[in-house]
Amino acid sequence: MKTLRAYLSTLLIAALVITSLPVAAAPAAPQSMDLVSTQSVLSADRAGADRERINEILARADVQDQLLKQGVDLDEVDARVAALSDAEAQQMAEQLEQLPAGAGVVGALFAVFIILLVTDILGLTDVYPFTR
Amino acid sequence: MTYLFANARFAGVFIMLLMLSGCARNPVLLQSTYQALPPHAEITSVPFYAQTEFQCGPATLAMVLNHQDVATDVEQLIPQVFLPERDGSVQPEMLATVRRYDQLAYPIRGTMDALLGHLAAGDPVVVMQNLSLPIYPMWHYAVAIGYDLPSETLILRSGEIERHTLSFSRFDATWARTERWGFVVAEPGTLPAGISARNALEAISAYEESHGPRAALTSWEAFVKHHPTNAIGQFALGNALYADQQIDEARNAFERATALDKEMGAAWLNLGLVLLQQGAPSAAHEALKNAAALEGDWQAKASEHLSKLAVSSAASQ
Repeated sequence: MKTLRAYLSTLLIAALVITSLPVAAAPAAPQSMDLVSTQSVLSADRAGADRERINEILARADVQDQLLKQGVDLDEVDARVAALSDAEAQQMAEQLEQLPAGAGVVGALFAVFIILLVTDILGLTDVYPFTR
Repeated sequence: MTYLFANARFAGVFIMLLMLSGCARNPVLLQSTYQALPPHAEITSVPFYAQTEFQCGPATLAMVLNHQDVATDVEQLIPQVFLPERDGSVQPEMLATVRRYDQLAYPIRGTMDALLGHLAAGDPVVVMQNLSLPIYPMWHYAVAIGYDLPSETLILRSGEIERHTLSFSRFDATWARTERWGFVVAEPGTLPAGISARNALEAISAYEESHGPRAALTSWEAFVKHHPTNAIGQFALGNALYADQQIDEARNAFERATALDKEMGAAWLNLGLVLLQQGAPSAAHEALKNAAALEGDWQAKASEHLSKLAVSSAASQ
């Protein structure tokens, strides 16, 4: 019993330490993206746009492939790619795998359940509304 | 071994106390926020759709779009924004899908003050949260619809809960894990107060890419009204006016852009081109000369037109 308690407390300590880090180190300034250049904003007859246009076409083809791989219907893929702005298409092409996909609460393993229960009670997470 | 764990327990208690004192601190709301905003706000007119499975993306979009009187529903949105293999929806597609319904999606400033400001102004905010911990993320979209300042409580339409209330500090902890990402939806020609100039430029520009400059004209006008000294805004307005055949107005906008930012070669070039079209070669020459003198993509084109001008003026003499 004592050993179990000891193990459990170590586990909790580790969990709590890990939890505290991201909140404390939350980035202060999220706006570091390069502004959309005025050229790409508008001017249909700008010079030197060819290279950018080629990149954009490649990015969109890439996004199309990825969306198909992610199980999007063939009928919908074109419209979804067309709806993206150049910047968004670029972002999707480069880092779709890493982008967080909002889904909501999903089932958790038992160990994780315990940790999240504690962090919920501490007010750090919001997984189990019944903790309030 | 036991000795080690005994120490660990003390350390644990110590860390726990530290953390509790840390958690107890609420996210800092500016004093001006308390003074400027009504103590309580709730946009009860936002409809509620309970999410099924992993579909909080389509559900939140249906709520905010219906609130804008756009006819759509979750069933229609699922094939447009949901990624089956990822069991979720990603941020760029959330914004892009809003535009498919002829609405603009403006990312908000990532602060609690800005979030509450939008709610007080009557705009529901789609927020992205990580409900869980970074090591075991549970990404989630919800619609913030209100708040109560005295009790420091935020009100959300979230998941399967129609009116989910949670403390500012708990919400902010989950929101901070997405770098406080959120957006408001607005119809063309309106610009919600409190959106940063940069975010507004990006949002209107993205709308323009898919709907064309004429459809974006009213939004650029709204932008210029909010940010009259933003050179890029004046430049963008000029292009939209030009696409709408309002050549004189476009020239004025390009002139304002070059006056605000003398280093903006693209605006000088467009001003020169418009002046050429209007048959004012000497004024066009000045503008093109300025464009050609500045480093950038526009240089080649400006020089080309300058040499054409030189040839034609030589021919006429």
